[in-house]
Amino acid sequence: MTTASAERTPHTPPAPAPPGPDRTGRRAERARRRAAERDGVPHAMRGTRGGRIVRGVLLTLAALVTVFPFYAMVVLSLKPSAAVEFPGSLLPWPLTGEAYGTVLGAQSVPRWLLNTLVYSLVSVVGVLLLAALAGYAFAKKRFPGREAMFWSFLSMVMVPYHVTMIPTFAMIAKLGGVDTYWGLIIPTLANAQAVFLMRQFVRSLPDELFEAARLDGCGEWQIFYRIVLPLLKPILATLGVFVFLWHWNDFLWPLVIGQSTDMRTLTVGIASLQQQNVPLNVVLSGSVIAFVPIFAAYLVGQRYFTEGVTTSGIKG
Amino acid sequence: MAVVAEPGRRGRRSGPQARREARIGLLFVLPCFLLFLAFRFGPGIAGVLMSFTDYSLTGGGHFIGLDNFIRLWHDPLFWSSLKVTVLYTVMAVPGTLLASVALALLTRRAFRGAKLFRSVFFLPVVTSLVLAATVFVWIFSTGGPWATFVSWLGLSDSGWLGDDVFVLPALAIVGVWSRFGYGMLILLARMQDIPRELEEAALTDGAGPWQRFRYLVLPQLRPALFFLAVLETTSSFQVFDAIYTMTGGGPANASYTLVFQLYDAGFKYFDLGYAATIGVALFVLTLVVALVQRLVIGKDQ
Repeated sequence: MTTASAERTPHTPPAPAPPGPDRTGRRAERARRRAAERDGVPHAMRGTRGGRIVRGVLLTLAALVTVFPFYAMVVLSLKPSAAVEFPGSLLPWPLTGEAYGTVLGAQSVPRWLLNTLVYSLVSVVGVLLLAALAGYAFAKKRFPGREAMFWSFLSMVMVPYHVTMIPTFAMIAKLGGVDTYWGLIIPTLANAQAVFLMRQFVRSLPDELFEAARLDGCGEWQIFYRIVLPLLKPILATLGVFVFLWHWNDFLWPLVIGQSTDMRTLTVGIASLQQQNVPLNVVLSGSVIAFVPIFAAYLVGQRYFTEGVTTSGIKG
Repeated sequence: MAVVAEPGRRGRRSGPQARREARIGLLFVLPCFLLFLAFRFGPGIAGVLMSFTDYSLTGGGHFIGLDNFIRLWHDPLFWSSLKVTVLYTVMAVPGTLLASVALALLTRRAFRGAKLFRSVFFLPVVTSLVLAATVFVWIFSTGGPWATFVSWLGLSDSGWLGDDVFVLPALAIVGVWSRFGYGMLILLARMQDIPRELEEAALTDGAGPWQRFRYLVLPQLRPALFFLAVLETTSSFQVFDAIYTMTGGGPANASYTLVFQLYDAGFKYFDLGYAATIGVALFVLTLVVALVQRLVIGKDQ
């Protein structure tokens, strides 16, 4: 997420404008844009009044069904005891933070949160750096075996993860990497999708950008650090958001590698709480704690999620 | 100069400049290449080789030919988990595609709140299935929200997760909930590419909403639907997180999938050779289904 927020800052206006008139101004602007979009559409295609009402009702129903599990998760996590019978427990009172006290005190949730943070953040930095280096070289440098190497990287997307997981685990176990951060992180840094998207992006940049720097007498590392990386900011932000998400939500690999209680990630830990018949409000408060960072990231960097999916089909 | 200025293009060059460029290129790719060698290519090949051995963490590693595959063929648990996996896929994938198309059509036009609806529908996609599973366990519990809802429709109000018939539909509902927002976004992007003039022409010709959808929108969506069908099928063949958390494969193996069997073989019984065999079976199955889908949906391309 650090990449995403760093990317966003230049776009935000330097000084906040007075709130009142600016907000109405922006609202008017949005209304104008909507009207302009509508104007291109013939009246019949916009649908009848009845049609619009049906659409509104259907969408509201679908949105309520979609949001219901989130609402239930939050409200039940704030219930006083394990008394979570339906439907009385869905009322937003009485509420108490009791379950949060339990989950943060008696359980290992803070440690799991730390593990998840280490796993996600180190992987984001590692994957982005390695993919940027490789993507740049694949796009702009000529070397023997370049195409063969690139396509063999890409072909590994086709092999299901579960085929490679068993030998990878056997190898990491032999090397003593079970229950360690390096055993958890290093095998996940080889990310074919990231290399592919990086190469596609660098290819779209004109060669002159890099040549000018070379004529100025910059070394290759300097060119990469000073010229290439700043040019890659948009793709680094989009990809960063997704790599963070994949690792934050990852389950099977952390499950097999983190075997002691202290080396679990949040997802693995919460699944274990669920299986140990821990009271529901306590489990759900753990879920809320694990969900809040993703939700915050989604609120802040939403356009990176949607653009990533619509422009390149990144798997959500 | 002209040669140096176009390093991305094809063509033969030599000399110290080209050698230097090749050296730099290889150097930049090297870290990634080593990682791929160690954690993708190596294990990919090893995964296939291991399926012909009795490798386990405690020893073994002898070549045993096709023994693992013969054992798999005679393993009733394999056939049961294959059936469960296929049944789950048959419910979850069409459900996801239908919901994706429906919500893409509903949020397609610019109207007040369209963006908000799209954001809401995408939220489950970014949510871990393990976290969602913790609350869906309650939603599907006896006397819970879902049971109460279906009791209005005349069904019993017992929990679906404890029922060996209804457990898979319940898990498929969770699967659809978590995936339809992704399909919706992909389809929305393709719908923007449909020329507005085409739709206007169809309107003046008096085509109704269904005809416009059937003959104008749907053909445009075909490649995207093919992409989604393959992607969603592949991922539902690998379904694990939600099932592990919600049912543990039960009741009585009624939700015990292939990846669950692979996980148990590898990490409960440490029978890594057999686990690799299940992995290979999963790989072959995925390839076959992708080919069949290509023949059925993608035949016009």
